[in-house]
Amino acid sequence: MLDQFLLGLSVVLQPDVLIYAFFGVFIGQLIGVLPGVGAITAISLLLPVTFYLDATTSMILLAGIYYGSQYGGSIASILLNLPGTPSSVVTCLEGYPLAQSNRAGLALFVAAFSSFLGGMVGVSILVLAAIPMTVIALKFGAPEYAMLVILGLLAASMIGTGSQIRSFAMVALGIALGLVGADATTGYYRFVAMPELADGISLVSLAMGLFGVSEVIRNASQRAAVDAPALSIRMRDVFPTRAQARSLVFPIMRGSSIGSFFGALPGTGAAIASFMAYAVERRFSGTPAKFGKGHLPGLAAPESANNAASQTGFIPTLTLGVPGDAVMALIIGALILNGIIPGPRLMVDQPELFWGVIASFFVGNIILLMINIPLIKLWVLLLRIPYQKLYPVIVVMICVGVYSHRTSVTDVILTLVFGILGYVMKNYRFEPAPVLLGFVLGPLLEDNFRRTMLLYGGDFTIFLTRPISAVLVTCSGVLIVIGIWSSLNARRIAARS
Amino acid sequence: MANTENHADQNMASRAASGGVLLLAGLVMLFFAWGYPTGTLNQMGAGFIPQAIAILISGLAVAIIVIDLKAPEPERAGPVHWRGLIFISAAVIIFAVLVDVAGLVPSMFLAVAVSMFADHQARPVPVLIYTLLATFFGWLLFLVGLELPIPAFWR
Repeated sequence: MLDQFLLGLSVVLQPDVLIYAFFGVFIGQLIGVLPGVGAITAISLLLPVTFYLDATTSMILLAGIYYGSQYGGSIASILLNLPGTPSSVVTCLEGYPLAQSNRAGLALFVAAFSSFLGGMVGVSILVLAAIPMTVIALKFGAPEYAMLVILGLLAASMIGTGSQIRSFAMVALGIALGLVGADATTGYYRFVAMPELADGISLVSLAMGLFGVSEVIRNASQRAAVDAPALSIRMRDVFPTRAQARSLVFPIMRGSSIGSFFGALPGTGAAIASFMAYAVERRFSGTPAKFGKGHLPGLAAPESANNAASQTGFIPTLTLGVPGDAVMALIIGALILNGIIPGPRLMVDQPELFWGVIASFFVGNIILLMINIPLIKLWVLLLRIPYQKLYPVIVVMICVGVYSHRTSVTDVILTLVFGILGYVMKNYRFEPAPVLLGFVLGPLLEDNFRRTMLLYGGDFTIFLTRPISAVLVTCSGVLIVIGIWSSLNARRIAARS
Repeated sequence: MANTENHADQNMASRAASGGVLLLAGLVMLFFAWGYPTGTLNQMGAGFIPQAIAILISGLAVAIIVIDLKAPEPERAGPVHWRGLIFISAAVIIFAVLVDVAGLVPSMFLAVAVSMFADHQARPVPVLIYTLLATFFGWLLFLVGLELPIPAFWR
């Protein structure tokens, strides 16, 4: 395992790869800070850029944006009470009171350092789990894959935010969009309304529309009255005292464990992990009254949790090729567009890529820690950029990015269509993220399902007689029961009140 | 109570609207997928999965309509950002129409300029200055830096 990790390090430490690792985490931190731009938007925007890079550097760049944004998100939470990312919502609860009582420097440092430790725990678990997971995954045949994809899609719609049935419908819509174009097995054209659609809908169009255009439409004329505080942080105010540092050891350990667990589960991710970590910390604290008033353990635990989760989220993505959430789906999509099929063969066939990406997380977390506090003045300056100065640039980047991908005007128009769709959907409480997940996983599901039926003569019981597949079916069944039960319960509570 | 009754009728339609659109999408999909070869279970045709998914979407849409109608409190759709919708759409369409004909620089210029008016506080002079700057840096990034194979101006 150490050998493979060192191989990975040797890949990352090449100057031309390292620069992309740096770019990735830097952009990630930047967009985490910027209000109104999230990791998924930034990754969609940079998707076309990755066609000019090789697969390893693309992955390192895009992944860096993802976990880098977790660091940046806490800065806006602490200084402005504005969560930059969904996973830093709870960071506001303790971070903002700290900033108001003139301890912003301390809060930023604790957030950054807990993030770093959480990230490191997450990477370590990823390294430890990679080989065993791949060994299991290599035993997977078509039935297991089909069931795994179904489990992942169910988990994403049952556990995520919002109504389960709406999310599930959006997963189905995503699968439907993924069907457009020539059938992979028979070449039969499906839903090809115009000749340009013969190759299918482009992931770039869908992602940029759903997450780029729709957000611009929503936010363009909204002005958040944001006044970034004039910060004068002295270096000696930044570090916690010995007693404070000691009080953070267990919260960070608990937060990292919770984060690592929820990150690796399909369907859950950094946001849920940070909420759970905060709730657990509050429950187990001897002084629950201190929470909400700038209590450092309540800041450290969720910060370590969301960063641990954003690293262990790569376990299913890299070893099984099945992404757990929409960001991972985009990263997998980038890999597929680069001509690489994700899955358990990835580690065996492309060890440089596999371990290089993992080692880049290790290096990236160190870079993030180093650029976080020293560049704090830059991040505060960025907080003052109004969205109105940002979005026209985003619009042009979307247009040029989509157009340059396949030199297709149709793709640009489709992006607008998906943008309007994403905007309207969200107005009616349909989340766009499951659409993307369904779009990326749909073809995988269809291919493996049809292959299973072909191999086993149309016998559905095969899903129950093969052990791993049976376990996956059981998990899916449990998820459905939990989903129905919790939504009925929620309605009963709503009806009673 | 009487108040709720009065609102009930006009609410019915708007409550069922989002699920209704989804149901329509599912049925349209089913209509087209019906003609595709279904095949048999052990030799599935190209139409099997599309038909299954179309039926799934329609079924879920019906369930969503039922849930939305039975919900004690109608959840209101958010406000529509017409300004953003109109100007951003116009900017993207202008870009799409012009980029093949007029080249990257003019289409970027117009896309930025038009999209800036999605903000209701936009004023002509700052928009012009910002647009010129943005177009210049866009040219620098896309054509000089990334060397994208798109002509800068009309051929």
